[in-house]
Amino acid sequence: MKARAEALPTQEMLINMGPQHPSTHGVLRVILRTDGEVVVNARPDVGYLHRALEKIGERVTYAQYMPFTDRLDYLAAMNCNAAWAWTVEKLAGIEVPERAEYIRVIVSELNRIASHLIAFGSFTADMGAFTPFLYAIRERERINDLFEDICGNRLTYNYVRIGGVSADLPDRFLEKTKEFLDYFEPKVPEYNNLISYNKIFVHRLANVAAVTPEDAVGYGLTGPNLRGSGVPFDLRKNEPYSVYPEFDFDVCVGTGERGTLGDCFDRYMVRINEMKESVRIVRQAIEQIPEGPVMAKVPRMFKPPVGEVYFRAENPRGETGIYLISDGTVNPYRLKIRAPSFVTMGIFEKITKGLMIADVVAVIGSFDIILPEIDR
Amino acid sequence: MMESLAISLVDALPVLSGVPLWTITLLVMVMVAAVVLTFALTYSGLATYVERKVAGDIQARVGPNRVGPVGILQFLADGIKLLLKEDIIPAKADRFLFVLAPYLVFIGSFAAFVVVPFGVGLIASDLNIGIYYLMAITSLVVVGVMLAGWSSNNKWALLGGMRAAAQIVSYEIPVGMALLPAVLIAGSLSLQDIVRSQGGLFGIFGWNLFHNPFTFLSFFLYYVAALAETNRTPFDIPEAESELVSGYHVEYSGIRFAFFFLAEYGDMFVVSALATACFLGGWHVPFLDAEALPALWGNLLSLGVFLGKTLSLVVLMMWIRWTLPRLRVDQLMRMAWKYLVPLTFVNLLGVSLWLLLFHGEGIPRMIASLFG
Amino acid sequence: MGLKDYLYDIWEAVATTAKGMRITARYGVDPRETITLQYPEERWEPSERFRGFLYNDIKTCTSCTMCVRVCPVDCISLESVRGADKKMVLASYDIDIGRCMYCGLCVEVCPPKSLKHTSGYEKASVDRGELILHFIHEDAGEIKARVAKQVAEAAAKAEAEKAKAESEKAEAEKAEDGEPDSRAAQKDAPPSAQPAAPADAAGNPEDGGAAEKKPGEEKE
Repeated sequence: MKARAEALPTQEMLINMGPQHPSTHGVLRVILRTDGEVVVNARPDVGYLHRALEKIGERVTYAQYMPFTDRLDYLAAMNCNAAWAWTVEKLAGIEVPERAEYIRVIVSELNRIASHLIAFGSFTADMGAFTPFLYAIRERERINDLFEDICGNRLTYNYVRIGGVSADLPDRFLEKTKEFLDYFEPKVPEYNNLISYNKIFVHRLANVAAVTPEDAVGYGLTGPNLRGSGVPFDLRKNEPYSVYPEFDFDVCVGTGERGTLGDCFDRYMVRINEMKESVRIVRQAIEQIPEGPVMAKVPRMFKPPVGEVYFRAENPRGETGIYLISDGTVNPYRLKIRAPSFVTMGIFEKITKGLMIADVVAVIGSFDIILPEIDR
Repeated sequence: MMESLAISLVDALPVLSGVPLWTITLLVMVMVAAVVLTFALTYSGLATYVERKVAGDIQARVGPNRVGPVGILQFLADGIKLLLKEDIIPAKADRFLFVLAPYLVFIGSFAAFVVVPFGVGLIASDLNIGIYYLMAITSLVVVGVMLAGWSSNNKWALLGGMRAAAQIVSYEIPVGMALLPAVLIAGSLSLQDIVRSQGGLFGIFGWNLFHNPFTFLSFFLYYVAALAETNRTPFDIPEAESELVSGYHVEYSGIRFAFFFLAEYGDMFVVSALATACFLGGWHVPFLDAEALPALWGNLLSLGVFLGKTLSLVVLMMWIRWTLPRLRVDQLMRMAWKYLVPLTFVNLLGVSLWLLLFHGEGIPRMIASLFG
Repeated sequence: MGLKDYLYDIWEAVATTAKGMRITARYGVDPRETITLQYPEERWEPSERFRGFLYNDIKTCTSCTMCVRVCPVDCISLESVRGADKKMVLASYDIDIGRCMYCGLCVEVCPPKSLKHTSGYEKASVDRGELILHFIHEDAGEIKARVAKQVAEAAAKAEAEKAKAESEKAEAEKAEDGEPDSRAAQKDAPPSAQPAAPADAAGNPEDGGAAEKKPGEEKE
């Protein structure tokens, strides 16, 4: 039978999963060559959202660049802000007050929860279950309310500054955060009951696009994508920065519980479990946060010493790295951003060979890519 | 039946006695068809509204609530909007087939309303091949969908159309097989006969659902297969919004798109009506004998009961849609051929054996006969 | 696949579906779960620190141009001229809220704290020109002309005073051995010239302040 099918001359279809598509998480173009339903080759074509952020960095000062880091990965804006601040502080050797570091960790972890909620919501929406997306958005709106109290914006926060944070926590912020955590903790098991272990959902994701640990490391995958393949590497544990050594939390690793190790389901469950761990971290941070100033003394026209530095932070999507070269003036000489989603796209072509078209959508969703980061 | 209606009409209005009978019959047919069509279209419009409200409630938000008292005129607003849209036919599309496809889908869905038993004596045409006619006419939808997919000259539409064809054709087998137990119990293909065979025994116990364990199972098998027939989630691969950008009706705009949309909701009603008629006792009013009631009351009460049962099944379909993700196309086919088809065959065998061994009596009747 | 796996598959499908449907049913029937705010009848109250549209209090603004320099997208533009009292006078102050990215850096650096965020966020318009907020409503050219005139007047007055002082000094030197009264008269003359000029120069910012229209709908 198979030999007969192969003997029939059929044409390959060239389908353009264009920049405008409901499931490509942004303006991603995938050029699909398919043999019926089975994908022969899927090549991503990026660049539709290029805004020259790295070039802009050469034109503005260090403090002025902070709002641009918001727009790098807008779903994890606090994390990107903090990454930039840590990079410049590493270069210039600025000592950040401890209270500011605790605040940075609290907002980063809250933003991690928010980002994973969107990843979870949009992924299930791509799979056809439209309801969990609305529940995820509802939770995220509560996080946005907390952020609005702290800095005034709901998406592009511009809260972290080089040397600390821009303003201290407002009244009752820690209480409200605790209320939110108490509200949110029972929601994760609810999501698991609703959709995560639903047989149809599991069937869609199990054994699809399994990435072996060797491939994951070889292609430079980081974050939940790497941990989903069973590699227990988390920058917050392996190369700790800021006050992360003070906290007790587990690294969530994929276990191949419903299929092969490293398939879409593993990556998805890693994100769900990471939300639980982030809740733990924020609870501990609220207990341990000290009093004190929130901003170090940084000169108005800040001129770091000549040199270069590379700093990497554990962002919700992976390892965001910033490589900064300074020539002693108020503007950076060159800054290069290592965006985790961009590197993840490297494995896309290899992983999608032999999948069906519906699985391509599952793969894009499980890698949790975001286009502004890819195109910068 | 039309003839009898025509004759009673002439009797009622002697002024019409001069007109030949076939004209009056034709007029009666047209009037009945108009009534059924109006009902079907109004139902479809309201079903879109109810779907959006149900979706809103499940998703922690409010559905439409601005147009009309509780947003109930939303479907009219949508209908008018679609009517006023530009009619776009892609340049390289096969024009004749492109225009024909929505009509075929519409006919396939709404022509089935003719044999739906709405109440006592309330059926547009009590064909003696009721179920057979229904299965045949709903197959027209497949042709329409395939034509839509092909003639749009769009690869996404083509994929959607081919998937839809494979899906609907495969699921027709479990649908037919799952309906056969009801036919065997009633001994007739006519829907009114099937409903009548579930009479007596205080309403609920006469239902085919409780007749024997195999019919119980076949109700659920029928319902699942029918979900797939109507392209509803979790089987909505052909029109998977998030994957195929609307699948086979991606190139349609305005009122042509509305035809597809309305046909889907019409199909939902037909399928639920069939389930009600065959398994849930149809128009039998609980604790009363509907056919013995005085003329108008009997009709209206049985109509109300029938609509109540059918519409709750329709709402159940909507509830399922907003809960479950969708199946991939090969999983869908696997489910049809490896799960539903064998189960319905086994089911049919079971029902046949039961009817042979117990001379056609169901469990409730046997229990009732113990008590005399 | 054995019979046991087959039946378990069916059972699992039904069980997980039922669990999911129970959750959605609870949301479906419980009216407290609806969280929609019916805008515009119900509105979300922005927090205290909300970064809405910008508002500059012209009376307190000192035209230091810190906001212009720190803005990452160059959306603030101002023109100022030096007045007769050596203080800067604002001729125009525009913020393009279409370009603004509401980052708050300008508000942070403003030394006299005249630039603030309001809680306004509703200004949809059909023309980009409407999105440029003007905080000074007189024409910049006119202000500049008026200030230039004042500066010229003050300079002329100063010249006249200086000339008068020099001539009086020369007279006093001529009558040096004479009357000490004229020296006392000289001492009085210069200070009286000063107060008039600042009053004139100070008049302008107040005019500008009086003519400023508080962007009423933005400041809630």
